[in-house]
Amino acid sequence: MQINRRHALMFLGANAWAMRPAWADAPGSAAGRLVLVFLRGAYDGISALVPHGDPRYYQLRPSIAIAKPDGSLSSALALDPLFGLHPAMAGLLPLWQQGVLAAIPGAGSPDSTRSHFDAQHHWETGLPGSSASGAGWMNRLSTLYGKERSALGVGEANPQILVGPQPVQLLASGQAATRAGALADTRTREAILKMYAANPGLAQAAQAGADSRMQTAATLTLAQNEAAMAAAAPPAMASPATSDNAIQQAANNGAPPTQGLALDAQNLGTLMGKNRQLRLGFLSAGGWDTHLNQGNTTGTLNNNLANLSRALLQLRRHFSEPQDVVVVASEFGRTCAENGTRGTDHGHGNVMWLMGNAVAGGRWHGQWSGLAQGDLNEGRDLPVHHDFRAIFAHILAGTQGVAREDTERLFPGYRWDARLDGLLRA
Amino acid sequence: MPNSRLHRRYRLAALGIVLLVLGACAQTPGLGTRSPAGEAAPSVNLDTRSMAARWRALNRLGYGPSPALLQSIQSAPDARQWAHAQLDAAWADSQRAPTLPPTLAEIDLTLPQLFEGAKKERQARAAVSAASPVNEALPIEKRFDFSQPTEALHFNRTMVNKAVVWRLASCSEDGLENPLLARMTEFWFNHFNIYQNKGPVRPFGGHYALHVARAHALGKFEDLVLASAQHPAMLFYLDQWQSVDPQSARGNRGLNENYARELLELHTLGVHGGYTQDDVRDLARVLTGWTISAQSPTGFQFVSRSHDAGIKTVLGQKYPASPAQAGQSEGEQAIRFLARQPATAKRIALRLAQYFVADAPPPDLLAAMEARFLASGGDIRQVMRVLLDSPAFWASENRLFKTPYEFACTALRTVRAAENRSKWVQAWGYAAAAGQPIHQWQTPDGYPFDSATWLTPEALTRRVDFALNIARNAPEWDALYPLLSPDSRNAVLQQGPAQRLGFVLGSPEFMYK
Repeated sequence: MQINRRHALMFLGANAWAMRPAWADAPGSAAGRLVLVFLRGAYDGISALVPHGDPRYYQLRPSIAIAKPDGSLSSALALDPLFGLHPAMAGLLPLWQQGVLAAIPGAGSPDSTRSHFDAQHHWETGLPGSSASGAGWMNRLSTLYGKERSALGVGEANPQILVGPQPVQLLASGQAATRAGALADTRTREAILKMYAANPGLAQAAQAGADSRMQTAATLTLAQNEAAMAAAAPPAMASPATSDNAIQQAANNGAPPTQGLALDAQNLGTLMGKNRQLRLGFLSAGGWDTHLNQGNTTGTLNNNLANLSRALLQLRRHFSEPQDVVVVASEFGRTCAENGTRGTDHGHGNVMWLMGNAVAGGRWHGQWSGLAQGDLNEGRDLPVHHDFRAIFAHILAGTQGVAREDTERLFPGYRWDARLDGLLRA
Repeated sequence: MPNSRLHRRYRLAALGIVLLVLGACAQTPGLGTRSPAGEAAPSVNLDTRSMAARWRALNRLGYGPSPALLQSIQSAPDARQWAHAQLDAAWADSQRAPTLPPTLAEIDLTLPQLFEGAKKERQARAAVSAASPVNEALPIEKRFDFSQPTEALHFNRTMVNKAVVWRLASCSEDGLENPLLARMTEFWFNHFNIYQNKGPVRPFGGHYALHVARAHALGKFEDLVLASAQHPAMLFYLDQWQSVDPQSARGNRGLNENYARELLELHTLGVHGGYTQDDVRDLARVLTGWTISAQSPTGFQFVSRSHDAGIKTVLGQKYPASPAQAGQSEGEQAIRFLARQPATAKRIALRLAQYFVADAPPPDLLAAMEARFLASGGDIRQVMRVLLDSPAFWASENRLFKTPYEFACTALRTVRAAENRSKWVQAWGYAAAAGQPIHQWQTPDGYPFDSATWLTPEALTRRVDFALNIARNAPEWDALYPLLSPDSRNAVLQQGPAQRLGFVLGSPEFMYK
């Protein structure tokens, strides 16, 4: 029976960890949690994981390349002889050195579309090439396992990846998430629900929304107060310029999209820490479509990468249990050569990041075929060597006890990628 | 589709109407056989005399009630005739300059004046010494306060805010704008979306709304595409202004595909419209040299020395090597060609029907709209007539849930917020927090308008909060009570007078359109 098989897998997977927290023993629950940070607009991965060891990189990008590592903060931070980290992401360097952060530079969707919206749809439904509307794969995953593997999305009204039959929790971006609202008042709530009684769609949504609001508002307010109290003593993982600053910025209405990411990450982490049934998390940030003047160590992309790394540090605080994994991905990469306006156009393959104690970090994984003209996809962008679905299949199998048959159902037609067998720690 | 089936469907639908109907009108069958514009009406009997049909027309062809609109639609012979008359009135208004309140008049400055304002802001900023930093923080309650003359230092920000207020005022005050014209403006602004926070776009959002989306809202689709293609807001937003022939380029400038791709994918053919990466590249080459002009009255210029005069092929259409001067007409030709394609007709029909009829509109309606689009040379008003004459538009089972912006507009109308700045701030804040910030949808696809996106627990909770807050202590409007279902009316009447309008606004009848 399926449930038993899942239990068996769970214990197999969990045995790798000598000290398992008590909640991991709950029936039907493998330990891991997965958070996806999705960068909408196609982030330029080779500005984040800089191939400084490939001379072609500097030929292709005369004005926007990140300089070779020279020890300064206006150059790449060397990770190995081939790759370096964008200096705006310096806060993540300790995580790489501790072996809990890894990159996959040849990742992406097998579909060749260069449409943001189609590609995002493919990533979120797990069905490359299909533009049919349907459930998102996180929702389908949650449906397979039921309430014990629920999903939480922070920020967007209703991201495609969470759309589907299984109820999911959606949380507003920024400070709005901490307000309980008018429905916290019992009399008002009951009057509204009575008014919606003949309209099940509204009635169910209002009930679910009111319940979720009242719980989350209290939880988040408490957590933020605690964070403010602790602000004088920043946590060991954080670089000096982390969360408080970002929280301030996020409170401003109309702030550029990546700025609020750290606060959203904190709210997501708080709620998933409190409610152990929330095992799947989704965050997103826009503003990555850098066709024009993308800059190298100043400008839009630099600022976005700095905000991203603050958010990742925030997530690291909340998701450092043995089988937690945080993934950073984008719908596709950008052209390897800069375009005519000191930016980059829509490409194909891209760099994905994985963070967590279960991740075989401190190194990059999979195939990298370099930037020689003949090795580029259509002569212009990175090839996709590793299907994103195979990467998620590895993570789900390794940290959530999801059986291969179930990943087949989740991602019909994908193939297990044995070249990534070392992605997670044995 | 056989008439009997349509007829049955419609009668079934009528059973589902939850609104009170107006006496004998509800029982009166059918329409005349000619619509006001003289085209043959469908041979099916549409019950468009019921109050339900009238209420639907107010909400779909506008943003909800006002005292004057309620009176106008109740005294009309039937809702469909009223709808066609609204369409004619909206078209006529689109041909005239809008009635801007004096505080918002600046959004309709000429394009050279807007460029000049942006330039003066740059100069003013350069002149501020490093020792006296500019206070950029604008308290939220000051955001829509335009009582003082615009400061040079904050020209762009002021223009952004004025444009937003125009979108709130024009959707909520009949005296400023025909409600259907406001709706069409919303639809086209979103179809040809620009993101007003992108640096150089900032002063132009209001002008774009007026002179692109509004001016061509009910005209020829190809004129609309062309107007958006040549407007500084779009030229800046999708980077077209900098895309040049690499051979011609001074410095390291060259081709940028951004606009060409979205023109194919979003504005015209749609992503499955049958184009390739080569088409994208060659269309970008066709458009090289199309850029902004700070001096020209149109804000646009064609720079022939930046144009790629080589051979290009877009969707099988050859653009032969030609003198660079031909580049402007080459681009116009390409845009008009794309705007007339069957794939474009299909996409526009679908988007309009999803906006006005149902999240999943019936195929027969789509086919009729496409056919009219192609037969009329992309005449949007003609396509709208097909929509208004379709049973699907009037069928009560085709529900549409209001988006946050639509609901914000309904709220402003319902609380009669005219000139009340704090209500505008509230409505703006709600739309932004609910995920639909006005003029700030960042990506060129525009926001979705289906209920799967907007009817979620968190979003509904937020909407109810907003409804109760914005209408708190507002005077009662009891003419609305007969429009509510018995459940809603009971809920409203059980509240104290200060809460009643909030409950009206929070009722299902006000959530759906």
